[in-house]
Amino acid sequence: MYKLFLTLRYLHKRRIAYFAIAAVMLCVAMVLIVLSVMGGWLEMVKRQARGLLGDIIVDNRAYAGFPLYQEFIDEISQWPEIVKATPVLYTYGLFHFRSTDQTGAVRVVGIRLQEVYEVNAFKSSLFYERHYPGTTTLAEQRQPVLGPDPDAEPLTLQDEQGHPVALLYRPKLPEPYQQALERFRQHHGGGNPASEEFERPLNELLAKAGLPPIPGWYEEADEPGLIGDPYPGLILGRDLVAKRHSDGRYERYYPKGEVVTLTLWATSARGQVDPIPIKRAFRYADDSRTGIYDIDSQHVYCDFELLQKLLQMDATQRVDENGNVIGVAPARCAQIQIRVAPGVDAKALTSRLRDKYLSYLDDPRFDLDLTDRRLISRIEALTWQESQAHIIAPVEKEKILVTILFGIISLVAVALILCILYMIVLQKTRDIGIIKAIGGSSGGVAGIFIIYGAAVGVTGAVLGTALGTLVVTYINEIQDFLVKLNPAWRVWDLSVYAFDRIPNEVNPVDALVVALCAVVAATAGSLAAAWRAGTMQPVEAIRYE
Amino acid sequence: MSEPLLVADNVHRSYRMGHVDLRVLRGCHLRVEKGEFVAIMGKSGSGKSTLLHILGALDVPQEGQVFFEGQPVFAPPTQRRIRTGLTDVFSASERRRIGLRRRAFGFVFQFYHLLPELNVLENVLITRMVGASTWTWRRQRRRARQDAINILARLGLSDRLKHRPNELSGGERQRVAMARALVHHPQVLFADEPTGNLDAEAGTKLMELLSDLHREGQTIVMVTHDPSIARYADRILLLSDGRLAPAPALS
Repeated sequence: MYKLFLTLRYLHKRRIAYFAIAAVMLCVAMVLIVLSVMGGWLEMVKRQARGLLGDIIVDNRAYAGFPLYQEFIDEISQWPEIVKATPVLYTYGLFHFRSTDQTGAVRVVGIRLQEVYEVNAFKSSLFYERHYPGTTTLAEQRQPVLGPDPDAEPLTLQDEQGHPVALLYRPKLPEPYQQALERFRQHHGGGNPASEEFERPLNELLAKAGLPPIPGWYEEADEPGLIGDPYPGLILGRDLVAKRHSDGRYERYYPKGEVVTLTLWATSARGQVDPIPIKRAFRYADDSRTGIYDIDSQHVYCDFELLQKLLQMDATQRVDENGNVIGVAPARCAQIQIRVAPGVDAKALTSRLRDKYLSYLDDPRFDLDLTDRRLISRIEALTWQESQAHIIAPVEKEKILVTILFGIISLVAVALILCILYMIVLQKTRDIGIIKAIGGSSGGVAGIFIIYGAAVGVTGAVLGTALGTLVVTYINEIQDFLVKLNPAWRVWDLSVYAFDRIPNEVNPVDALVVALCAVVAATAGSLAAAWRAGTMQPVEAIRYE
Repeated sequence: MSEPLLVADNVHRSYRMGHVDLRVLRGCHLRVEKGEFVAIMGKSGSGKSTLLHILGALDVPQEGQVFFEGQPVFAPPTQRRIRTGLTDVFSASERRRIGLRRRAFGFVFQFYHLLPELNVLENVLITRMVGASTWTWRRQRRRARQDAINILARLGLSDRLKHRPNELSGGERQRVAMARALVHHPQVLFADEPTGNLDAEAGTKLMELLSDLHREGQTIVMVTHDPSIARYADRILLLSDGRLAPAPALS
């Protein structure tokens, strides 16, 4: 009983203990903040990586691709573990915007848009699809332009004194875009959820008139409508079509429907690249922001069947040296993305999927030549974690490294506790003698200082967890405040990091582990002092000057 | 003849001072009867306090034994550890000594030795707290508090319960120390120069208090170098050359 009583008194009366508590608190808060931000970042990367691919991918790591994908998809779609599977094509190409002459190398991805929506989270990465639901397509399309609504009365804009200064015609988009926007506004209350954008002048005028903004950028014309020749749609990575500012907002370079040309090179089943380039015009249908810069700055997405045709990977007749048709070379894809049912162990399913594909080599239904057999034999099935290890692993390593570094720095707190408690023991030598003289045992006296260390640890850990949680929760607001004071103080520079906001969620398990480590460390820091106090002879202590 | 309460039998104690082995006690013999007030006199450095600490189980003799109520206080000399280590916590003799200090002995020191973080009442209560576990303290707390208040009232400190030691005079501090030594009703009260740090008036008052306690049956063993203080005792012994002998001139 006396141990706890004296510990509380020493904690309360010895101000020096506050320094130890403050040290533990700051260390706990520091480690928790680092762990939460890094952990949150890792989670975001994982989520984005998973969102790009689905749960499992089947791949042979060859641009020549592999055949029989549709047969495989049709068969595995019958399995109860499989929710959806879709083929994907990959190749490299050059893009070129006619209006700005912007050119660059890109990775061209052929997808079946509607199927991809069901396999992964690609849909949620699309800007126009989010604000104009159901309008993004990779099919042929013309450019939508914004014009004054002929059925609505113009609004009078007034200056600050209330004098009329201009007439604003209510802008309208052609169908189906206008209807889609209305649906979006109904769903989101007509506000401006497109806060990730730089406000365009039109939206500023609309805001003055009290009207909701038009998300994205449309060319303006005398009347709403669809203009230009029809071209297939192309979804571009956000960083290809917009500049990201340090506050995280995007400034688009192109209006929706802008013409963009892709230059591609076909790859044969034997992996030979056709030297004659294929050029094809597309319309900028949407932009995708996955959150992973490498992808958002390098990927463009077009229709799977179109790209397959352009790359000459569709089914073709097989001819002999004399030009006689001897069969059909099957169509090829480069990857199959698969979504599995909830609760299914994706890792366990991968070997089954691979075995299934390899069984086609001996399947008499298919007439495979040597090249096809070689392409199929290289097939692997990987979970999304395995396939994205190159993205996830560095962040994981960074998280561990930073946590270890800050953990080592936290040892300073342990050393501080050791010093403070040792000092207190020296100051309290005579008290120790008194306590022993009135019946305190060596273990009991040592216990006072162990409890003292633990109490410093518990108090510091509780305060540190509270401080860390508070800082992590409001970390974005804190940064916003600092940026207001001085823009150079922006730590999370959004032109560098892919994510809008600093991760601000504390994992309760992390918090508990950090707090427990702090208590253990503080208690360990008290052991030397406790040992000295416990082994002190009462007479020696009473005579101590 | 009844069995003596406390017996010191051929107690030896020496201290190493550099290369010199300073033999402070060289075979002390002492019998203290129950209810007796014994004063031990001697010159400064003669070993009075060392003897008192050994009698009170605060220190360990190198040779000899101390018996309390006929039972040995220390382990046999071959098993004794002079420096207390944590291993002693588990030894039977260490546990017995702790038990004696908790229940049977009370100490008053020359320099009071109050705990500065605690107020007067808490300084007295701490003695009872040390002897109780967390669970037994719940039951004992109210009674222990009342005992502490009673003893402090008897010593004239009722109005000082919430004061801290640094807010008290020397005489008051020594009375608090005495209350701390008495609150658990010890069988023997050990007083080490109790008036050594007090002025004459406060010293006299304290000795009158000790005399009152003695009259009520409290066994007291006191060391002092002051003959006028020693006169309050039933029996005065002189510690000289490491041995105890009656002090004839004063007797």
